[in-house]
Amino acid sequence: MSAVLPNLIALVLLLGITAYSTAGGVDFGAGIWDLLAGGRATGREARHLIDQAMAPVWEVNNVWLVLSIVVCWTGFPVLFQSAFASLYLLFALALVGLVLRGAFFAFRHIAEDPRTHRAADVVFGVSSILTPFFFAACLGAIASGRVGLLQPSTPVWEIWFSPMAIGFGLVSVAATAFSGAVFLVGDARRTGSSELTTYFRRRAVIAALVLIATGTAALGVIGFQNPALFRAMLTGAGLPFALVTMLATPLVAFLVWRGIYRFYRVLTVGAVGSMVFAWAFAQSPYLLPGQLTIAQAVAPQATQVLLLVVTVSLVVVVGPALGLLIYLDQRTRLVE
Amino acid sequence: MAALWLAGEALLPSRIQMAFTLATHILLVPLGVAMPTLTLLMEGIGIWRKDAVALKIAQRWSVVMAVQFAVGAVTGTILSFEFGILWPHMMGRFGAAFGLGFAIEGLAFFVEAIFISIYLYGWKRLSPRAHFLTGLALPPAGLLGAFGVLSANSWMNTPGGVTIDAGRLVSVDTMAALFTPALGYEFWHFLIAIYITAGFVIASVYAVAWLRGRRDHYQRLAFAVPFTVAAALTPVQLVVGDLSARALVQDQPAKFAAMEITWATRDHNPEVVGGLIDGSGAIHLGLELPSLDSILVGYSPNAVIRGLSSFAPDARPSVVESNIAHLAFDLMVGLGTVGAALTAWYAWVVLRRRRLPDSALFYRLAALAGVGSYLAVESGWVTTEVGRQPWIVYGVMRVSDAVTDAPAAFVWTMLSVLVIVYALIAYFFITLLLKLAARWRREDATETQEPEIRVPYGPPA
Repeated sequence: MSAVLPNLIALVLLLGITAYSTAGGVDFGAGIWDLLAGGRATGREARHLIDQAMAPVWEVNNVWLVLSIVVCWTGFPVLFQSAFASLYLLFALALVGLVLRGAFFAFRHIAEDPRTHRAADVVFGVSSILTPFFFAACLGAIASGRVGLLQPSTPVWEIWFSPMAIGFGLVSVAATAFSGAVFLVGDARRTGSSELTTYFRRRAVIAALVLIATGTAALGVIGFQNPALFRAMLTGAGLPFALVTMLATPLVAFLVWRGIYRFYRVLTVGAVGSMVFAWAFAQSPYLLPGQLTIAQAVAPQATQVLLLVVTVSLVVVVGPALGLLIYLDQRTRLVE
Repeated sequence: MAALWLAGEALLPSRIQMAFTLATHILLVPLGVAMPTLTLLMEGIGIWRKDAVALKIAQRWSVVMAVQFAVGAVTGTILSFEFGILWPHMMGRFGAAFGLGFAIEGLAFFVEAIFISIYLYGWKRLSPRAHFLTGLALPPAGLLGAFGVLSANSWMNTPGGVTIDAGRLVSVDTMAALFTPALGYEFWHFLIAIYITAGFVIASVYAVAWLRGRRDHYQRLAFAVPFTVAAALTPVQLVVGDLSARALVQDQPAKFAAMEITWATRDHNPEVVGGLIDGSGAIHLGLELPSLDSILVGYSPNAVIRGLSSFAPDARPSVVESNIAHLAFDLMVGLGTVGAALTAWYAWVVLRRRRLPDSALFYRLAALAGVGSYLAVESGWVTTEVGRQPWIVYGVMRVSDAVTDAPAAFVWTMLSVLVIVYALIAYFFITLLLKLAARWRREDATETQEPEIRVPYGPPA
């Protein structure tokens, strides 16, 4: 019992991060394609579709982030302190990106002057790149082993600019662009526009190729900077998940390229989620590689129990509610 | 200036940043927590009396509620990161206890986010009854969220439920940590405050409409429902507020001494209205009501009140902090009293004459009541937070021991960026509300429905 519960809490944290990476990633990806859609006239249709796809789910996605943060500081306070003591700048940049993104997404709906509107588009798009980059850079910095226990053990800028931080950041940008494009293919298909479908199919395939390239490069960086993690990802606990990612990503690219619309979105979520899982399982039982394990960092037992109760309530209450929301969302689209 | 930026300590900008972001977020709380209830009340009236106007009002309120919720979600997310960025030492040591309330709040926030979406979607896609019923999830979710945050704040004021060994948290008693003594009064005092504030703020919009000459069923209903809720709660708040202040005498005597700027421990302690204290304990300006503080606290002029000087200088609020807490407290009490007077006027007219007031002066005051209650909420919050200084966890951890080791320049820079970003958000938010209001006014004037402008974060039209 006492060994199971901490691992369960760690799993809840991991699921929160994964949900944000996959569901939130789709949103960030849509923002990236918004930025790359070109000028006002050329990008109008793509942007309109992105708008439609994003509006209703925005808040629910943000909730995953808040939930992960809260589980982290309540369940693993020492990890929380250590991460923020070393990575405060990266978190602050991600946060500013997040806020600008939300604010300018809203603002572009009320901006009337075309130039202001265009500026809002750009801020929204750029922050859609910066936010996942910096959040993932935090994970990369932790995975590199350079985040010290409770306080930084090396100069902080060395942690921020560590190759793994940058590597994880780039992979996450590629992954969000990939999942964003794939889901926009689905949204475009629902509107019945074959032009837009082709438009996003092409982008999904390109993004998949970029993701495979950056993912491979990042794996090399991991092997160079944290060989133990590299081994665990390819031979240890991370292997099954690494395999899923390596197989699912090209498979999605193939399906979308050939226009076979079966399981392509589920596989995309699987590919991106497995990437997060491959890192986390390879690193376990360590929260900070070589320095802090789940058992060492976990809060006293009573706190673990409360977190578990909250998690179960979340599943019981939020599950059906989320189902109803998705049902209403789908029904709307069927009616239209 | 540049010296402060580069060479100063991170403590000052961290405190300013936390105060700035919390002060902003707290403005969004009243409508975030209480507006769903008022909206449901209006919808209920609409369904019960088959009143299309009430339904129209409820639908419009739900749009404002959703946009406000989105802004609150953003400022709330910032706060949760600031705990790590600005106060890592506190979180590392006490996260397991302090975080409990937030875990519950996280659950409530999730439920709210989903049900607000369902509520907005449901107007056109659910039967009126089903729509109303799904909306009923919102008030309890708001209550639960408020409970979580106030539980965490109460824990900072009266920490409990933890066993600390050599500075390390070794065990937590969940219930004792969630339900600390301060929660009893903080929760009810704040909950009532936000319902009053939401009522007065919403009613103030329609008080302005009255002053501009609008006198139809729409205006009367949209004014009377929220104003009545606020008016009914105001006398309750006077009692709860009084109990809260009295409880501080036991739980946080240094805070109480600061609020009343009492320097020496004494009986026959006067109640000082306004006024400032200096480093030697002398009171300047202000109106001293002899023995009143003793009477209010102990029902007798002989009641002994503990003064600031009985605490070590590094364990009590500084002179400046005491004066801030004192003036904020007086402002809150003063605004509450004015609010109660306005409420009495309203009750007199409604109960005796069976109609709404028709005096321009009343509506001018009602129009100011919205701003006034925001001010009261802010000053109440300033009282409790500044009055707790120098502690972040009362009697256990000082703010200066909790603060980040990051350079001051980083925190100053982040603060500046946040000020700019918040100004932008406020501008966008207000612009959007004004646009919505203008559109609705046009619709009502021409009795047509304009094609909907898409509300950010709302459902597809």
